[in-house]
Amino acid sequence: MTHITDAVLVIILLSVLLSLGSNRLKALVEIMALQGIMVSLVPLLLEYKAEVHHGGIIFFQIMILIKGVLIPWLLYMAVQRIAIKREVEPIIGYHASLLAGLVVIFVSTIVTQKLHLTLAAGRELLLITAITTLAAGLFLMMSRRKAITQVIGYLMLENGIYLTGTALTKQSHTLYVVEFGVLLDLLVGVMIMGIILHNIKDAFDDVDTTFLGSLKD
Amino acid sequence: MIEYVFILPVLGGLMALFLPTTLGRGLLIITAFLHLQLTVLGWLGKLTPAFINFFKVTPEGMLVLLVTSFIFALISIYAVAYVSETGLKNEPVFICCMLLFLGTMSMVALSDHPIVLWISIEATTLVSAPLIFIKRSKEALEATWKYVMICSVGIALALLGCFFITLSMDIGNVDVPLSFSSLNQVAKQLDPLWLKAGFVFVIIGFGTKMGLAPMHTWLPDAHSQAPSAVSALLSGALLNCAFLGIYKVHALMNVAGLGAFSSNVLIGFGLFSVLVAGIFILNQPDYKRMLAYSSIENMGVIAFGVGVGGIAGYGAILHLIHHSLLKSSLFLSSGNILLGFGTKLVPKVGNMVKLFPKTFVSFFAGFAGISGFPPFGIFISEILIIIGAFQAGRYVSVGVLIFGLILVFAGAARIVMDISFGETSQEVLIKEKFFRIMPSFVLLLTSIGLCIWIPDGIYQKILHTIQIIGGGIHG
Repeated sequence: MTHITDAVLVIILLSVLLSLGSNRLKALVEIMALQGIMVSLVPLLLEYKAEVHHGGIIFFQIMILIKGVLIPWLLYMAVQRIAIKREVEPIIGYHASLLAGLVVIFVSTIVTQKLHLTLAAGRELLLITAITTLAAGLFLMMSRRKAITQVIGYLMLENGIYLTGTALTKQSHTLYVVEFGVLLDLLVGVMIMGIILHNIKDAFDDVDTTFLGSLKD
Repeated sequence: MIEYVFILPVLGGLMALFLPTTLGRGLLIITAFLHLQLTVLGWLGKLTPAFINFFKVTPEGMLVLLVTSFIFALISIYAVAYVSETGLKNEPVFICCMLLFLGTMSMVALSDHPIVLWISIEATTLVSAPLIFIKRSKEALEATWKYVMICSVGIALALLGCFFITLSMDIGNVDVPLSFSSLNQVAKQLDPLWLKAGFVFVIIGFGTKMGLAPMHTWLPDAHSQAPSAVSALLSGALLNCAFLGIYKVHALMNVAGLGAFSSNVLIGFGLFSVLVAGIFILNQPDYKRMLAYSSIENMGVIAFGVGVGGIAGYGAILHLIHHSLLKSSLFLSSGNILLGFGTKLVPKVGNMVKLFPKTFVSFFAGFAGISGFPPFGIFISEILIIIGAFQAGRYVSVGVLIFGLILVFAGAARIVMDISFGETSQEVLIKEKFFRIMPSFVLLLTSIGLCIWIPDGIYQKILHTIQIIGGGIHG
């Protein structure tokens, strides 16, 4: 079973690298869907020995539905509406971004080793993946100009934080009602961001955040 | 069941979406006053939480709840007068989001579980975002975008902080339910290193929402672009809720014996906020942004006071109450000025003393209050904070604080004088009306009233609140 978990984690790492190197927005949304599903699977795979009770099974299904289907669908609709296919002229280029992604993985590995946490077996790679996803999400938000890519960066950051939580804390703390609340916040957040995106598109005829710079002191 | 305090506005808000506008307006005011009554019942101890894993009646939460409920009731009157005079395109959405905003803020005040607290604070961001861009101008869009993105990312980091606190439980081999009240009882056994890391992330995360510099960048934009009733709520109620999140973790740090660390972090952020506000307020061309920077300054003062502890802790909580009253009053008055002149630029407005005499009185009195003149409460709270800082021997910090306060006063005074007595060629668009003036006067009078006589219930709650961080009225 650890092999499957490791495979899932490697897929998440690859999805992070792919998202950093990809300039087509649709592809980016597809990558996020894949990443969402994989991230939702991780706690399930880690917990397979402990008995997951019924509430848990239902919760993970909802999570896959929200992270893997609903949110990507919302993003997809947003991409359709704003009619922009590519992110041109990012602040940091794609090759440089990919390189930065590799550096992030390297740094997360060092950080994970330096923390000297007594993690359960197989959780080192999880923590490395979590920190990488988190940092790459932040990187994506800062290095791209289009508002939609920034939303995707935010989602990746959130995925990373969720993975960190899974890696660090015991499952016994998990209350599914609470987790569901977090998911609901995320879903509503993406919806609100989508609405604002739509309005930005109407007002400026583009979703470039360089237009959003008139308020300053 | 005290959960009604947030269930009621949430249900009301959802209902407002389907009601015609006049009924919706009535619903807003009725819900606001019902909420105030529920809050009072909660204060009298008549209501107890039903979901004890997630919610608890805490003194600090009840204080924030009372302040929120009280100013919301008054702001709802102003908001109804405002929308009926100016007309909004999406009025049902506006009323729905106002009520949801009240509901989520009440949930923050009652939360005892760290992640539930996080969920409710993130929810306040989401339901208040539509309120900021309700006018749909380009600037409002920009402000909303910055607000949602910066606050969401910031608050996401606070979630990471909550996970670190959970990790400190696991490392310390503590097996209690995850809630602030039970964590406080076993605080000594928590792993100090991860608790510290958790606090740092929480203060960066919730500090973004509270408007502590250097994470404050969303605040002036959002406060200046939102309709004035919303700005008053953002400044008077929302910032307190974010502060509550920081305060609970700070209290936990104190019980765990790490109070010195968290105090220093709070004092650092507090002083930096006061200084940044002072610098940006000096040449501020926009009077609503001026008020926003003044909020940053006051949040800095509160963080400073809580960090110093002792008698300054008492001052900080007092400051929180009076800042909410005075700042929301100021924002409501600024809304009248904006309606009257149609511009937020200081050079274009003026001669308020002749054109809008009543608004002039409320705006000027609010300015005097927020700058720390008697008979308003900030006079007392700032003196207590400064005395407390001297008692704690933090002479350099208190020097920096006073310097920052002087900067803010100098910047704000110039703007207020210009608006009040300067020349203007602008024509008066909309005259001042009773229902848009009465709320600001009631807020000002409450601040004066609380200065002369503070009800024993509130006094005791403040003392209970600061007990845990080692604060007290006798230093």
